[in-house]
Amino acid sequence: MEVVSSVRTPLITGAKTVGDVTQDICVRVEAKPPRTWFMALAVSLSLLAVGTYTLFFTVWDGIGVWGLNKTIGWAWDITNFVWWVGIGHAGTLISAILLLFRQKWRMSINRAAEAMTIFAVICAAFFPLVHMGRLWLGFYWVLPLPNTFGSLWVNFNSPLLWDVFAITTYFTVSLVFWYVGLIPDFATIRDRAKNRISAAIYGTLSFGWTGSAKDWSRYESVSLILAGLATPLVLSVHTVVSFDFATSIIPGWHTTIFPPYFVSGAVFSGFAMVLTLMLITRKVYKLEDYITITHIEFMNIIIIVTGSIVGIAYLTELFMAWYSGVPAEQYAFLNRATGPYWWAYTIMMTCNVISPQLFWFKKIRTSLWATFILSIVVNIGMWFERFVIIVTSLHRDFLPSSWAMFYPTFYDIGDYLFTFGFFFTAFFLFAKFFPVVNMAEVKSIIKSSSSSNKALK
Amino acid sequence: MAPGNHFIVGVYGDDHHALKAVKSIREAGVKIYEVFSPFPIHGIDDALGYKRSRLPKAAFMFGTLGFALALIMQYWMMGYDWQMIIGGKNFASLPPFIPVTFELTVLLSALGMVFSFFVVSDLKPYKKPRIFDLRITDNKHVIAVDLGNNKLNKTEISKIMAQSGAEEVNEKSFD
Amino acid sequence: MKENKKQYWKGVEQLTNHPEFVKYASKEFPRDLPYKEGILQEEEGGSTRRDFLKLMGFSVAAASLAACEAPIRKAIPYLNKPEEINPGIPNYYASTYTNGGNYCSIVVKTREGRPIKIEPNKLSHVTGNGTGAQVEASVLSLYDQARLSEPSINGAAVTWAELDGQVKTKLESIASGSGQIRIISKTILSPSTKAVIQEFITRYPGAELVMYDPISSYGIIKANEESFGKAVIPSYDFSKAKTVVSFGADFLGTWINPNKYSSDFIKTRKLDHGNKEMSRLYQFESNLSLTGANADYRTPMKPSMEGLVVASLYNLLAAKAGSLGVSTHKVEVAYLSDAANDLWNNKGQSLVVSGSNDPNVQIMVNAINGLLQNIGTTIDLKTPVYFRQGDDDQMKQFVSELGSGRIQGVIFLDCNPVYDHYLGTKIQSALAQVNLKVSISEREDETAASVDYVAPNHHFLESWGDANPVEGTYSLCQPTISPLFNTRQAQVSLLTWAGKADVDYYEYVKKYWQVNIYPTQSKISDFQTFFDQSLHDGVYSMEARPMTLEMIVFGGDLNVAASQISSTYKTSNDGVELALYETIAIGDGSQANNPWLQETPDPITKACWENYLTINQAMANEFGLEMNEGNTYNVNLKVGDLSMVLPAIVQPGQARGTVGLALGYGRTKAGRVANNVGVNAYPLIGEISGSPALNRTVNVGVTMTGQPAKVAHTQTHQTFMNRDFVIQETTLNTFKNHPEHAFHRPKIAVSNALENKLGDEVVDGKMQPREISLWKGHTYNNHHWTMAIDLNSCIGCSACSVACQAENNVPVVGKQEVLNRREMTWIRIDRYYSSEKTAKSNAELEVAAENPEVTFQPMMCQHCNNAPCETVCPVAATTHSTEGLNQMTYNRCIGTRYCANNCPYKVRRFNWFKYHDNRQFSDNSSMNNDLGKMVLNPDVTVRSRGVMEKCTFCVQRIQYGKLEAKKKGRRVMDEDINVACASACPTEAIVFGDILDPESKVSKLLQVKANGEKQEIHEHRAYNVLEEINVKPNVWYLAKVRNKEENA
Repeated sequence: MEVVSSVRTPLITGAKTVGDVTQDICVRVEAKPPRTWFMALAVSLSLLAVGTYTLFFTVWDGIGVWGLNKTIGWAWDITNFVWWVGIGHAGTLISAILLLFRQKWRMSINRAAEAMTIFAVICAAFFPLVHMGRLWLGFYWVLPLPNTFGSLWVNFNSPLLWDVFAITTYFTVSLVFWYVGLIPDFATIRDRAKNRISAAIYGTLSFGWTGSAKDWSRYESVSLILAGLATPLVLSVHTVVSFDFATSIIPGWHTTIFPPYFVSGAVFSGFAMVLTLMLITRKVYKLEDYITITHIEFMNIIIIVTGSIVGIAYLTELFMAWYSGVPAEQYAFLNRATGPYWWAYTIMMTCNVISPQLFWFKKIRTSLWATFILSIVVNIGMWFERFVIIVTSLHRDFLPSSWAMFYPTFYDIGDYLFTFGFFFTAFFLFAKFFPVVNMAEVKSIIKSSSSSNKALK
Repeated sequence: MAPGNHFIVGVYGDDHHALKAVKSIREAGVKIYEVFSPFPIHGIDDALGYKRSRLPKAAFMFGTLGFALALIMQYWMMGYDWQMIIGGKNFASLPPFIPVTFELTVLLSALGMVFSFFVVSDLKPYKKPRIFDLRITDNKHVIAVDLGNNKLNKTEISKIMAQSGAEEVNEKSFD
Repeated sequence: MKENKKQYWKGVEQLTNHPEFVKYASKEFPRDLPYKEGILQEEEGGSTRRDFLKLMGFSVAAASLAACEAPIRKAIPYLNKPEEINPGIPNYYASTYTNGGNYCSIVVKTREGRPIKIEPNKLSHVTGNGTGAQVEASVLSLYDQARLSEPSINGAAVTWAELDGQVKTKLESIASGSGQIRIISKTILSPSTKAVIQEFITRYPGAELVMYDPISSYGIIKANEESFGKAVIPSYDFSKAKTVVSFGADFLGTWINPNKYSSDFIKTRKLDHGNKEMSRLYQFESNLSLTGANADYRTPMKPSMEGLVVASLYNLLAAKAGSLGVSTHKVEVAYLSDAANDLWNNKGQSLVVSGSNDPNVQIMVNAINGLLQNIGTTIDLKTPVYFRQGDDDQMKQFVSELGSGRIQGVIFLDCNPVYDHYLGTKIQSALAQVNLKVSISEREDETAASVDYVAPNHHFLESWGDANPVEGTYSLCQPTISPLFNTRQAQVSLLTWAGKADVDYYEYVKKYWQVNIYPTQSKISDFQTFFDQSLHDGVYSMEARPMTLEMIVFGGDLNVAASQISSTYKTSNDGVELALYETIAIGDGSQANNPWLQETPDPITKACWENYLTINQAMANEFGLEMNEGNTYNVNLKVGDLSMVLPAIVQPGQARGTVGLALGYGRTKAGRVANNVGVNAYPLIGEISGSPALNRTVNVGVTMTGQPAKVAHTQTHQTFMNRDFVIQETTLNTFKNHPEHAFHRPKIAVSNALENKLGDEVVDGKMQPREISLWKGHTYNNHHWTMAIDLNSCIGCSACSVACQAENNVPVVGKQEVLNRREMTWIRIDRYYSSEKTAKSNAELEVAAENPEVTFQPMMCQHCNNAPCETVCPVAATTHSTEGLNQMTYNRCIGTRYCANNCPYKVRRFNWFKYHDNRQFSDNSSMNNDLGKMVLNPDVTVRSRGVMEKCTFCVQRIQYGKLEAKKKGRRVMDEDINVACASACPTEAIVFGDILDPESKVSKLLQVKANGEKQEIHEHRAYNVLEEINVKPNVWYLAKVRNKEENA
């Protein structure tokens, strides 16, 4: 095990011992949750209710209930899809890439981050499904299944099909990664279980884990390889998503810069979302000793970096449009900034390019409130980025005769709320019934990093 | 005494002690059945003389399988089974097949490896594990010695364990 | 087709809930199936075992059959198959479309005995090559639920016998008292009908026929009587005119016989390598009309000065002729002197027309034509046109007599004056005191609602008849379906009331032709053959008689007219003026209940589903009225003591100080589709020198109400932003002198490496985009379907888009969905205005010029060979055929709309909702009721909710044509296949064919030269829209050429 300099601030504060870790984390699962938790859950459930209503009619009447039209075939649906997928990224990124880089500070947040990934990806996958004209057929016709129509296969040239594979793979691998990580902690809860029901449930979930040295060594190589697989995967997912636009011919979509630009955007929004959730969980569950200012500061630094990359991407786009000398291309970008949707473009610019620069100041970087607000601002900005790319590119493309405007309807909004309802409900349930911090991993660093041990040495 | 039923169980409070104990116990010529700990102890598998896990190889094999399947599937469907003129492009060409190929490679390799992990470690739902000490998953490290396949007798082993710095030495038997 | 009526029309009983049918509907087998006895006995409870087994045996078979396929709810078997009807094979019958004075010689396509499509009759030289929006749509009016289904007296259904009895007795009592009876009708083109009426009049001497036209041309007739002693409308020959000057005559859109005029006019605008000469059109008008939109020079002017402008033109020409002009106030308007010069230079090959109904103006116009020696060349008074026979004076007299109670009996013959005559309200109120009020009409319209006796008439597709549209030309009308309802042909009713017993109008027409028309020819010696021939052709023209040598010269008194004009017209008028007009789709409003027409956008405003006030930008600024998409404001229009609230839209090209308003809307009793859509503008028609005029020049007021309104537009962006990759146009001189540089030719710069590889394709480091490709691509060896659209020939008349709607079962979505920008039309006509010449920035380019140049561009699926939509479909629902077609597989489509997004032409249409069998969309009557569904084309799927659709190049027609050719054992040729839009086009702007066939029209038009496997296009005007993105469309556009000076 590598040596950690005593100069470095401890990752886990408050003189925790291995036993304390088990106690602190498991008690959340065993004890009756605080009132705040019930309030939060109630809010999410009511969102879910509204969403379910609009969703029902979206499917019953047809997506005509949305504000789309002959010119703008995608708007909120795909905007939300890309936005949610983006949010998902942080989870995998934290647990995979930071694991490869042996960044120990990840350990207390990766569990929740991965959970967030999984729920976000579910929310994302929901939109491509609902946005289909005939989802009752589409949901399986997009798979290369043998069928009664004879040789009727899917079109492997279509980026949308690549999406299908990318999202499924991403979701499955993240799920597996997450679950493998949970097994030892489930075992812990199992062994502390007071009543037979929870013993049974967590017993089943823990797959009969005993913590033997053999299993641990296999466990470690598995998670290392999974991390190795997940890293290119997380980069590929948003690359593929960006292909939906990059491979098309619509001015404003047809851009080679999209893959890196989308990926950094995803990481950007993902970390923002992780922060939002972490800050809430931290407060509600009093995990200040596990999720410390250091964690938050590290994440804020990542936000500055990715935010700046995104900013550069925006400028590059503008430059390329001008440099290309293609009138339609030039108009597309001029129209973004100055056309009927100028306000969306302004919001995008302020929230994504300017606001994260505030994190250069350590004061703001380490202030909980500032971080919380900015993390939300960033996600608003990222939603508008996707809106700008999708809607303003479509609404005025080559032929002026079909130029049109998009106005969202009650159902556009409702279906978006549905995903929020789902996401937070799922997250709060997770926070109640699953160990929100990866105990096994934290325990392994207590020795090297917890202040109590330093004191002993 | 039949092997795999009666064990001497040494409980250690700290992973360093456990690691040292493993060494000393083995020097004393006692066969260790297995070491249990709440988190991975680095270097313990060398101390116990375990070989490196073959899971990475499994992952690689499954990955290759996925890669091959993906390419064969796409070329067969697009280029052979039913050719279609799509966007004036060639019936089958590599570039558009790369994303799906990549995804399937990763998918199969990940699932395959994890599945093999569950199989070799015999992890599955509804499995009744042998728990040598409930505190293993909390904060204690446990060294188990199987009386069934050790020349030395109970008392000797217990003594060696106590010397190796065990907090407690208990006897555990399953039937 | 009469003999096998019973079985043949079984289905209709079902549709009309014939009591017989209802009685047996619930039974497994209709009565006259062979199982009859069995059933009947069963009913009496005495069914034998054999019957039982028979039935059971059948039901088992039926059940097992039904198990194999989706249940067919309404299957009507032919018990004896009529020998000329083969399921799946269309039958074509030549016939005649007449709606008052509107005429078109047509061919009706029927399937299983249902008329489903109307095609032009190319044998006719009266209506040129195409049809028109209203003609194409009339087939849907046949299946209109709002049609009357039985005779009625005071709204109560009665039998024909009853009705006839009462009407006859009343007629007799009136006749015995030598009372006055009037038969009111729109223009009657049918000579046999006139004969019928004559019989009626001889039977009832007090009777008189009064004809009127909702939009009258009586002024022309009067003027011609005055000027030439001939009370007729002459034949205008636009094909001979090198210079055309029109004063508010929308001869390409709605004036008299637009179909013929447009095809003739466009003949003079066709350019190819041989012909580089074009006619020039000057238009002086207040509303931007279709003709104005196609003019080379257009001058907006106030109606109040029209007469003076015409007079000034006369004076200008008189000056050139060295004769003295007339004394009127001189007015200066743009391009008038240029017009004069051009006219003078083309003496005898020019034409001046005016839409005015003011005899004086028309006399002045006659004088001008006389001066230009056009009489006898471009104007033929010896073969008059009978499209407009309405006599305004008679009609006015009728109204006053009606008011004075002098008239005891009125029969409205297939007309609706209460709605569509400007004195309609007077007529309605006066009717109260009339003893006998009869209306012979198709629906219970405004007039029928205010009479006692309603004798429902056949639809023209159910009737026998004939027409005499132009001197010496006759055409026949034959039923293509037997009556859907208990209706009776108007002529039969009249004859019955005139005392004839069981008349057969077919025989009557035949007799009439035998006596009057057969003798005018000598080729065919036996009448039956002659009649069958005429029936087959649909048209018959007398052999050219030796032209009488009498020289027709202008003999009118010009100075009287001139002084009249100077007193009626003003050089300037500060007040707002109203100019009423007819739209292409709705026309006079008689077909208003036709959803296809309601949803056809006006070619100029691109708005549909209502009428609105078109106002000039200046007035809009005054009101602070700003339009955003369809959102605008209501204004209050006050004309004399009438006032109405209606939405206003800003119309570029609208003359300052004028407003425009369309007739034909605001129906109250047309049917659920049209009722209370828009406002009725007929009452606003005023009078000028005694005859009804569409222009109101005094006490017209428009005020802003400030209440927001929405007008459904299918296109909301007006200009083409100077995008020469969309619209390419040039002037005639440039085209003549250097055609190769006249147009925008995108070039792609290539690397030296590529240059060396490609060699000769590359010219100084640049090459044509379509030569560059990442892929080998695919060659189309058998056929390669291609379309060429000549922007010079397209006048924007929208016939194509209605034809497509009828052919391809394109749903109507209604006003709200059009407002949501979701209209479904497969072929749309993009209308672009030019921006001001000074415009540079995008903001400026987005604003249309005040008097813009207009370009029409029909836009449908371009069937790109490198189709972007195909690549992105995840389920391969849209792919390319081996004949170059971009195919849409509806039942594979899952509706991701990715294809539509990635379509650079935005021609793909998505089924946002279920448009068929859905109460929400009952306006889409062709898919939402059993009657309407009869119009559906069985060869084309009705698309389900959630799938994408688009133009298929009428693939069903292509396949049919290929089969026909195969039967004949030869390759497909042009005449085997024509797509719906191309066949409807009156100007042959759309040409479709196989580019691999060097003989095909399209190959010739595009100057195709085969070069190895490549087909090279050598026509200079040919271009692809968005060539630089290299999607390689199969649709080629021929750039527009304007016959105007560079900087005009």
